Amino acid sequence: MSSPLFDKTTSVLGSSINFRSLRQNITSANIANAETPGYKAKVVDFEDALARAADLEGWAKETNTTDPDHYVIGSGSVANARADIYDNPDVNVTNDMNTVDMEKEMATLQENSILYKAALNLINKKLGALRYAATDGGR
Amino acid sequence: MDFSTALRVSASGLAAQRMRMNTISSNIANINTTRTPEGGPYRRKDVVFEAMPDERNFGEMVTVKPDEQIQRVQVTDILSDRKAPLLKYEPDNPEANEEGYVAYPNINLMEEMSNMIQATRSYEANVSAIQASKDMAMSALEIGR
Repeated sequence: MSSPLFDKTTSVLGSSINFRSLRQNITSANIANAETPGYKAKVVDFEDALARAADLEGWAKETNTTDPDHYVIGSGSVANARADIYDNPDVNVTNDMNTVDMEKEMATLQENSILYKAALNLINKKLGALRYAATDGGR
Repeated sequence: MDFSTALRVSASGLAAQRMRMNTISSNIANINTTRTPEGGPYRRKDVVFEAMPDERNFGEMVTVKPDEQIQRVQVTDILSDRKAPLLKYEPDNPEANEEGYVAYPNINLMEEMSNMIQATRSYEANVSAIQASKDMAMSALEIGR
């Protein structure tokens, strides 16, 4: 997604919001399964992938390919960034082989919620600036 | 962007903990019960939690690959404790056997109480998760306002 009106920042923020909602789902599942024997706590990892995609965004336009089989360098745009979901390796295993750390999950939940709202606030600021320009400087 | 998944998964946690609370209540209520329909004294019950892939509606199941990583919790079974009943020597009790022993349920009140606190805390954790998801969804509705 790139248009003159909505720049890279907005699309990165949009992706970040999507990933945070996925993290919210996974963390909720971890909390719901905090006492399920054998359940493995899952983590969502997207920050690095998103940062890399944000760096590469826009490159695709600048590289030329001479053969349709060539890979386009920098095809990893923000919209194509993928989140990794895997079993958290950094855990203490309890008697029932459950690896959910309730304190950690609650902290993740709150942190995720705050950063989600922060991203929303930034989008709102962007939209506010656009509105300011669209209304001719508030006149 | 679906908050219904987070809400559904947390709700499954609430339901599971409530079911656990029900069995604990049953255990405490029947701490002195000597007769049951199956015969013999009451046996303490325990819930079995199982993680299951989050179930979507049929349309989504056909079109979208179900996300195996997001798992809800479900009470799949309620098991009876295998501990032998407590035999107390009460020859005057009409429930006593030939040797004068009455079989009582082998329920430890302290154990039930600590399980109850654990269930309450887990329930609260799920409520917090629902609250956080709700706050996020509400602030998402205010984009551009």
